[in-house]
Amino acid sequence: MVDVAVVGAGQTRYGNHPLGLKGMWAEAARDAFNSIDNDFDPVMIDEAFIGSIAFGGSQLGNTAALLTEHSGMDGVAVRRVENACASSGFAFRDAWMAIKSGQADVVVAGGIEKMNDLTPERKRYWLGVSGDTEWERLAGLTFPGTYALMARRYFHEFESSHDDLVHVSVKNHHHGSLNPMAHIQKEVSFEKASSGFMVADPLTLYDCCPTSDGASCIVLAADHVAKKLTDTPVWVRGSGAASDRLALHDRPSITQLQATQVAGKRALGMAGIGAEDVDLAEVHDCFTIAEVFATEDLGFAKRGEGGKFAREGLGRLNQGSTTINASGGLKSKGHPLGSTGTGQVVEVFKQLRGEVTSSRQVRGAEVGLTHNVGGSGATCAVHVFGRDQR
Amino acid sequence: MKADVWMGYLLQIHDDFTVVQSPFVLNDARVFGADSDATTLAVAALLHRAVDELVTSVSIPDGFDARSICQATGVQSHNLDDGSTAPWDLLLSDEATVVLARHGAEVTLADLEISVDVDEGFHEAINEAWGAELSSGHVSQGAYVSQAQYEEAALPRLSLVGQTAEGAVLWPPRFSHLVAGVETSNQPLKREGTIQTWTTLSAAGAPSEFSLRAPLLGGISTVLLHLDDGPKGVFLVVDDEDVDFAMDGKMELVFRRLYAQEGVVRYGLKARSIAN
Repeated sequence: MVDVAVVGAGQTRYGNHPLGLKGMWAEAARDAFNSIDNDFDPVMIDEAFIGSIAFGGSQLGNTAALLTEHSGMDGVAVRRVENACASSGFAFRDAWMAIKSGQADVVVAGGIEKMNDLTPERKRYWLGVSGDTEWERLAGLTFPGTYALMARRYFHEFESSHDDLVHVSVKNHHHGSLNPMAHIQKEVSFEKASSGFMVADPLTLYDCCPTSDGASCIVLAADHVAKKLTDTPVWVRGSGAASDRLALHDRPSITQLQATQVAGKRALGMAGIGAEDVDLAEVHDCFTIAEVFATEDLGFAKRGEGGKFAREGLGRLNQGSTTINASGGLKSKGHPLGSTGTGQVVEVFKQLRGEVTSSRQVRGAEVGLTHNVGGSGATCAVHVFGRDQR
Repeated sequence: MKADVWMGYLLQIHDDFTVVQSPFVLNDARVFGADSDATTLAVAALLHRAVDELVTSVSIPDGFDARSICQATGVQSHNLDDGSTAPWDLLLSDEATVVLARHGAEVTLADLEISVDVDEGFHEAINEAWGAELSSGHVSQGAYVSQAQYEEAALPRLSLVGQTAEGAVLWPPRFSHLVAGVETSNQPLKREGTIQTWTTLSAAGAPSEFSLRAPLLGGISTVLLHLDDGPKGVFLVVDDEDVDFAMDGKMELVFRRLYAQEGVVRYGLKARSIAN
């Protein structure tokens, strides 16, 4: 069966972007196309999958066709993929599958979200549409509340406290401070992150990711095409995805994400490696507690020891065997919902090719992993990448 | 006179009538709490009477939401158009007091000792917020749940009716049985559970359905309960400023106003600390 590689990747800076959907997508597509080492023409693209919740005050239906129209991708078979915050993680998986199936040779996967052109009320509307609407929402929960419930239960079941989440926040702010594409490029002290404004007890402002504008674009190619486009492709070694019950009350446990466990196992299994072989992982830390869960659910830490993992700084850049969220993660790099999954791929692509500044380069990076979650764990896509084809 | 407390309200019990009153007092008059109205008091009265006596039908005058009362209690609204009399009548006083009386019974109201003073500014503000939320011009920016969708889940939402399928008890109900071809039946669940976890959201973090009232309330609290009959559920908390949350703390579920949309109050069950 054909192997699939990432041959190009680009993104806008995350944050308050001056441009709208069309301009942001054009920027990300331009940077992705320009990152391809050899001659590339968008006319080579067979299919495109663009993840978005269509958050902004603009085009809702047929968003994807509007975007290709403004990026030299006229006529490409494109569609919007919606799976909440995992939209572009699944768009990437769809792109990978299109090539794996033999129906396409060159496919674009991307994501986009415009979040900061809305009034606070409209913003809160969109931030609430991906949780369980009928029961959780009407019980007063938005995602900060949902993850707060999970965090408090986690502290109860395991030897962990809010201090562990503060360590996650401080680490990701540090990583983000080194990343010129991050929304928040600022260090935060342990003391400051400990005493932030309480959003949803026990989660403070420093436990929550920002609302960001942003777009990201990835070009994938079948092996025989990839080798013509670049000498340094980044190979997609494994892909896994899964779903779970939307509402917390329908899950046997709320201190782990079953969808992550299944998707991670599938992706790592396909790659034929274990978590200990991963040099860097971009995990879905929409809230700091989510990173603690991810480190356990993906196998970087034992069950119940994700807090300890954070406390001991094992995910810090080049401190442990796996650097967690070298980009700053959602917490600091930002979280433009639909863009986040493919934005993670941009980071892994550049890290594995040694294209980030030395101050934030993961040393000896050979294998990377991306982990993109929808809602509070209803959907999850995990991908494993390597410099080596197999 | 001393009163019992039932579902967060004051209760006087007689052979022929049940009186339910709000505990809150402003300027020597009883007033509704932040998430109560005549309908929530009426439901409490009917549920208490139903503990020892079968109430099948009741006359419900204007001022109550008859549909919600029937959905929450299973009691029929008696049709008075044919000239008949209902076995029971709901009566509404102007002081946050509801009486459920056997038809023709002579009702006497006693002065109750229990009262909780309410800040006048807060009381006015919360009533204004509900008024604004109920106005036809108000458009909630909340995640939209249509009236039809709300009605589809009325039984589990308003009266905690669960679903049994192959020996398992589910709440809220699911539709998987349609695919599996499994028979299901309804089962009313005990309205008590224990706290598995909780949070208090700041006003800024609360869903926009609650955006007018959450700032006045100082945020809103939600608990995940493990219901005594097995299922789990998330619920807003009543009178949360008085609650000492603790893991495995015992709570009961009471009928209250949730929010208003398209000019209609949406009701549901909220959690109340039994220790209160």
